[in-house]
Amino acid sequence: MTRTDTRLPGLATRAIHDGQQPDPTTGAVVPPIYQTSTFVQDGVNRFRTGGHEYSRGSNPTRNGFEEQLASLGRGTRAFAFASGMAAEDALLRAVLAPGDHIVLASDVYGGTFRLVDQVLSKWGIEHSFVPSASASDAAATVLPGRTKVLWLETPSNPLLRVADIAAWAQVADDAGALLVVDNTFASPALQNPLVLGAHVVVHSTTKYIGGHSDVLGGAVVVGDTEWRGQPLTELIGFQQFAGGAVAGPFDSFLAARGLKTLPLRMERHCSNALEVARFLRSRSDVLEVNYPGLEEHPQHDLAARTLNGGFGGIISFRPAGGIDAAHAFVRETALYNLSVSLGGVESLTCVPHSMTHGSRVGTPYEVPEDLVRLSVGIEDIEDHLADLDRALNAATSGRS
Amino acid sequence: MTAATPAPLGTPIVRPIHHSAAYAFDTLADAREVFAQRASGFTYARTGNPNVAALEAEVARLEGGECAVATSSGQAAVTLALLTLTGPAKDAHAVVSSRIYGGTVDLLTDTLADTGLEVTFADPREPQQWEDALRPGTRVFFLESVANPLTELPELEAIAEIAHRNGVVVIVDNTVATPHLYTPGRHGADLVVHSATKYLSGHGGPLGGVLVDTGSFDPTEDPERWPWLTRKHHRWGDRSPVEVYGARRAVLGVARCKYLNDLGPCMGATTAHEILQGITTLGVRVERQSATAERLALTLAEHPAVERVHHPRFGDPRQQQLRETGGYRGVGGVFSIDLKGTPEQVERAVNSLRLIKLAANIGDVRTLVAHPASMTHCRLTPEQFRASGITERTLRVSVGVEDEADLTADLFQALSVIAPAHAPQPRSASTTAAR
Repeated sequence: MTRTDTRLPGLATRAIHDGQQPDPTTGAVVPPIYQTSTFVQDGVNRFRTGGHEYSRGSNPTRNGFEEQLASLGRGTRAFAFASGMAAEDALLRAVLAPGDHIVLASDVYGGTFRLVDQVLSKWGIEHSFVPSASASDAAATVLPGRTKVLWLETPSNPLLRVADIAAWAQVADDAGALLVVDNTFASPALQNPLVLGAHVVVHSTTKYIGGHSDVLGGAVVVGDTEWRGQPLTELIGFQQFAGGAVAGPFDSFLAARGLKTLPLRMERHCSNALEVARFLRSRSDVLEVNYPGLEEHPQHDLAARTLNGGFGGIISFRPAGGIDAAHAFVRETALYNLSVSLGGVESLTCVPHSMTHGSRVGTPYEVPEDLVRLSVGIEDIEDHLADLDRALNAATSGRS
Repeated sequence: MTAATPAPLGTPIVRPIHHSAAYAFDTLADAREVFAQRASGFTYARTGNPNVAALEAEVARLEGGECAVATSSGQAAVTLALLTLTGPAKDAHAVVSSRIYGGTVDLLTDTLADTGLEVTFADPREPQQWEDALRPGTRVFFLESVANPLTELPELEAIAEIAHRNGVVVIVDNTVATPHLYTPGRHGADLVVHSATKYLSGHGGPLGGVLVDTGSFDPTEDPERWPWLTRKHHRWGDRSPVEVYGARRAVLGVARCKYLNDLGPCMGATTAHEILQGITTLGVRVERQSATAERLALTLAEHPAVERVHHPRFGDPRQQQLRETGGYRGVGGVFSIDLKGTPEQVERAVNSLRLIKLAANIGDVRTLVAHPASMTHCRLTPEQFRASGITERTLRVSVGVEDEADLTADLFQALSVIAPAHAPQPRSASTTAAR
């Protein structure tokens, strides 16, 4: 055999089998949904197989999803939460203390900014923005001795900037801080921040991991990093149990089901998005297209190195004609529905300035008001191009 | 009474799940109209539910059909089709493919035989056998668009031509091919049935079936042959089903409002929802499964433990022609192999599989194998078994969406029980598509 049993199985194989073995008691090929709050004990603190006591602490359905996700992210453990924000909140509570400082990449998700700026600030957490995605700017923003977390989202939302995770990890290591990477856009199918040196990965599993827009969830994935004398796995596991913002069994089942086709879906998202980006670039009534797969993207070479097998399913662009054209465009599309969220099989549009990134308005990090974000779904590519062509024609009236 | 609240402006991207057994009406007059089938609407979830209706509409659209009825299993969909087309006939006869799912054989030759249905089996590659099997009472031809488990492709257009020349309805089970790869309605099928448990759902979860009417069958062209569809009856308010539902929807109208209503094999709302969500990835899944199956079939054909590979790629020239020009975008993720060695060695090879699970299902994202002689086709008579082409050394493989190299490695380590061989490098990089 050319492959030995010690070789790690492929990503698509792990997505289907790790943490998702058939039920040992019945042989059910799909592991059961343990929709139970609590578990009987055979004596005081004498738990049955798996050691489950109460579903806030552990639940077999959630644990199966966590194992599956940890395998794809090459982590030691993963922790599933009720939403992406719940995951971020739990992570930051687990690793920070009053007086600590966070360095945020400039275009992190608006909800992350809101959490840090409006919630954690009351508990003595301070933050600074890095004016770019560059690691040297991040290093200059670090407050020596106080910065404990660097928070990076790459590719970024909604401008699709790509950062050098390994370089940021070096900055974090030099500062004695943790590098957290929000891997929601690339997903474990395309990018593996832990392998590139990040200490923690967070996901909104609502997006590509769930993949069908039918479940909210979040996750934290960590390796063997120790933090303030304790393994991160223990710190975050305790926060998950004590804070209790866990993913429920049914939501975990849905997310696990979605994760099984993530590599397959992501291939189609990527190939469709590349075609759509090239189509938009070819239009004289489109001023700007942000997609890391285009050769002219400022970090295209970096993206080709860090993203494995594609450039993701998200594009942003500015139609000619300003905010009116942007708003007209999102009204005119038929295949693409107007909504927040992204990463599902169906295509969505969004005007971030007025929708997802409203918390940035009035700050130096406000996004352009005429920027349109596309979450490119896995429908037939001909249908994408026809819909976008028609909507652009209607929205810009051929302006250029 | 509360003041009327305005309708909310946003609509959910994913349809809500309507877990409701019954439907409320504002007035008795409204209820009367819907129950009497003079107005459309939902009465009770045995015959209709918004989620089930959405699934029915989607599968009908995929198959290019008029309408569809969803059922609790694929078996129930086949049963409704056969009861509707043959149930009331005193001389009911069906010609059925000899290369067909074992459960269908049980249904036809045992359960429905009890009701008086007579069956003649015919090879789907030999249209003349179908012509020869015709009787005056023949109402139905039944075959699969890709046969399970040996993947023969049928002479559907020729068989349908014989059927239509003789007033016979053609029912095609499109479960293995799926409407993404093949649409039987374009090649002569009048009705299409699915086990939605398989590729439509795609994740090995819910059970379900769908019966689709392609709209080509019109019982009024020969009303005396189909009196239960064309004559007035008190069941239909002293009208005929054709009057109530229209000529091209009468079959499914009766299937739903008589048989589904009376026998009750209905689909639940959550199941319909889950299958609809599965269909959103149908294309990407079956394209991959079909491509991987073909590559694995080519790899295994060279394996010293493999006697024969059953995949259209290895069929006779006519099978090749059908595969290439017969309207198939791919022939699906199922293929079978006949192994060398003793039955004990075959059994040990099956038991040696690690990644691949032994389970009686197809269409899952996981790769599954089955031993048809012991599992899906275990109740065939010796004659039926011989006609099926299955042997004691036949294994069916339903290819999932794992990395091809992992599947090859698992198959090769298991087959080493019979004859060791080196697993080749993957034939092409299946998981790192070029961009």
